[in-house]
Amino acid sequence: MRIPNLPESFTTKHAAKGWPLGLAGVALLIIGSFLSWSYDDQILGDLSLNLYPGGLQILAIIGAVLGLLLLLTAKGPLESRIGPWLDAALGLRALGLWMLIYMVLVLVAITTDSDGLINVNPGGWVSFVGALLLFLGARVVPLREHRDLAAARAPGWAEVLAIAVVMAGVLFGAAYALGREDAWSFVLFLVFAAGIIAMMVRTGILTWFGHVAQRQKKVLTLSAFLVAFLFPFTQNGSDANMSIATQVLVFAATAMGLNIVVGLAGLLDLGYIAFLGSGAYVAATMSQSAFATIGWKPPFLVVVLLGASVAAILGLIIGSPTLRVSGDYLAIVTLGFGEIFRFSMFNLDGNNGPNLTNGPNGVPGIPDLEIGSFNFGATHTIAGIDLGRFSNYYFLLLILIGGVILVFSRLNDSRIGRGWVAIREDEKAAEAMGVNVFGLKLLAFSVGAFLAGLAGTIKAHQDGAVSPDQYVFLESAFLLAAIVLGGMGTIAGVLLGATILKLLPEKLRFFSEYRLLLFGLLLVLMMRFRPEGLVASRRRQLEFHEEDEELAVAIEHELVEEAK
Amino acid sequence: MDLFFQQLVNGLTLGSLYALIAVGYTVVYGIVQLINFAHGEVFMIGAFGALTTYLLFFDGQTGVWILPIMIIGAMIASVGTAVLMERIAYRPLRNAPRLAPLITAIGISVFLQEFIRLFYEKIPDFPSAKQRIPFPQLDVVSGTAVEVGSVTIQRSAIFTVAALIICSALLWYFITRTRLGRGMQAVSQDPDTARLMGINVDRIIVVAFALGAVLAAVAGVSQGLQNNNIDFRMGFLAGLKAFTAAVLGGIGNIQGAVVGGLVLGVVEAMATQFGLGGSTWKDVWAFVILILVLVFRPQGLLGARVVDRA
Repeated sequence: MRIPNLPESFTTKHAAKGWPLGLAGVALLIIGSFLSWSYDDQILGDLSLNLYPGGLQILAIIGAVLGLLLLLTAKGPLESRIGPWLDAALGLRALGLWMLIYMVLVLVAITTDSDGLINVNPGGWVSFVGALLLFLGARVVPLREHRDLAAARAPGWAEVLAIAVVMAGVLFGAAYALGREDAWSFVLFLVFAAGIIAMMVRTGILTWFGHVAQRQKKVLTLSAFLVAFLFPFTQNGSDANMSIATQVLVFAATAMGLNIVVGLAGLLDLGYIAFLGSGAYVAATMSQSAFATIGWKPPFLVVVLLGASVAAILGLIIGSPTLRVSGDYLAIVTLGFGEIFRFSMFNLDGNNGPNLTNGPNGVPGIPDLEIGSFNFGATHTIAGIDLGRFSNYYFLLLILIGGVILVFSRLNDSRIGRGWVAIREDEKAAEAMGVNVFGLKLLAFSVGAFLAGLAGTIKAHQDGAVSPDQYVFLESAFLLAAIVLGGMGTIAGVLLGATILKLLPEKLRFFSEYRLLLFGLLLVLMMRFRPEGLVASRRRQLEFHEEDEELAVAIEHELVEEAK
Repeated sequence: MDLFFQQLVNGLTLGSLYALIAVGYTVVYGIVQLINFAHGEVFMIGAFGALTTYLLFFDGQTGVWILPIMIIGAMIASVGTAVLMERIAYRPLRNAPRLAPLITAIGISVFLQEFIRLFYEKIPDFPSAKQRIPFPQLDVVSGTAVEVGSVTIQRSAIFTVAALIICSALLWYFITRTRLGRGMQAVSQDPDTARLMGINVDRIIVVAFALGAVLAAVAGVSQGLQNNNIDFRMGFLAGLKAFTAAVLGGIGNIQGAVVGGLVLGVVEAMATQFGLGGSTWKDVWAFVILILVLVFRPQGLLGARVVDRA
């Protein structure tokens, strides 16, 4: 979100007033947050007590403290150390804007939840005025030149500490966000998080963090996994959020597999959900369920390999036309395959073919997994914290998605991945350079399908049932949308996209009615304004913005750096 | 044998419907090389436009003179949707990579379906679109079927086939005898040269979208009359099958779309009657044909343009 800057003459004239205004704003925000915001104590997690801030008020205080730090960086004790590096003024502008939005929404929320603006207590108004002052002050804080952050060096322990702090923030943020029961609190937290992220982007903290992440890649990956691993321990054995989390993980793992096909090899697949479905159906028909149609009940590891292999063979079959068909046509062919899969599952009920799938009823009553003596359906207590059924699946899926990410990144950096990128960029040139185009395309399809099949076998046990209507075209569209939204061919992007698309509808009930409407709108708007996705790889960004000279120079520079 | 003729009639009826929709895919593809994935939804909106016209002005009446007015209502709704779609979503993506328009089209398609599902009942005294809505039955085009020997022909089927014949004739006249139609031919052959010759390419593209929408609207009315009801999901499968028909005939070739539609309709009807598995598998055949055609004869039956292998 950008607001046009004030005219130059105005800002220079009032430059000196920005800093005190900002400080006054911070003070008022904090004071207001310690007072009561709303008269009604039933809404937004009780904001009605004086001197005892509730959750949303604590967020406002955190925002204010960050604002204070930035102000002191612009002018004050912190100026000498980090002032030259960070762009405190721009960060303040972003923070001020978002805090203002936050406070306005708080007032709106109180008004709508307890019918009437009259229910806003003085504290709410004080905080609102504080946010407004911070916003106004930030508009006129003078901008300065800054040094290049790539040259910024901190001691190693400090960098690792920074990663740890950010990861801890992510963990607590996620746990806190998922703990919100009412939609307004959730939305307000998202606004606050957006404000923090915007502030970090504008000050350059994120740029610096990017450089740090480059240097400390192993630490970052490990800590990310540690955070994901610790997540169930923050939920106090509650299964509600864990079930959402497992769904997000299944979705993300599948999207990651599709990312190989679409993001790396550039082959559009609109029937990808069929691979997840084939894995799930294999697992279901070989499970201990009373409705399973195959008498053979192998151990789960065998089932996993079988399901993944069946999916991979399907992938080979679907990939075979790629020799002759490409582009949009390939997309339609894969869509056709996906629909054929669904109709087949629907019709193989004994009346219209062999009874494999129980037709429209699917296979219900799939029992929980048991690997060795570990039953996934039972609750286990670790360190005094109960971990329920979904937490068990969550850990299993975490291992799965770790594997998928590993496969993805290894392939991406290998000769095969280079071949895929070459095919994506220019098939004819790649062929002329001796890249085995057809073989690599088939490989992309089968690897992607294999991974989806793996996820499917676990999904069948986690859901406890499979039925054909879980595998409609819309699901494939969702997967594709997650990749497009996050950013093709990137790992972080796809994880982000999958999380957004799965989590929001689950947490926002008022949203659920309009979920698909907004989804359609989102796709159109994304393609129109940010086709490269939220977390874009630089190269794709250039593909969509060919006229951007600066970006081209920057990328060239990066490539030269890499080559050295 | 009677069974065969009966299925032939059914197939031709179904095929006429596919053909009417398929023309829209083909015309747009011929000019902008874009698969307008949301065209099925234009057909669906057409059906709802006709229903809206009926409910607003003629609720409860059954005179046949209402039909042309309903068709005009359907056309207004469809053309409006298609033109807006082109303006807002496709035009900014004219030179974007191939993926962007396709994803946009999926987005539009989902959006339009949901829009009808959520907001159709918000019009006062209107039924909810969340279930199937009965379509008005008018005199002459509905009622007792015509018996020819032992073959039954529904009146709505006669309407559909007649609509296809009339539309095809008008379409032929428009494309070969009017300035706009000739402009369309020129643009589909070579847009750059056409622009140099003073043809307004942007306007031609809008006309192409509108033309497809007009035929889709007629198809929407026929579909409503044949099935006696409409719902917000009807565009998806019909659109895919019509696309199959367009590919079968050779995408970009207008005669091809009509031929492909009829062939597909007949094949589907015959497969249902004499093929494997009976009627539950009928939707699969279209997809099987689609894949086979794209793999083995991408230029289609009438061989319009060679599919680019980019």
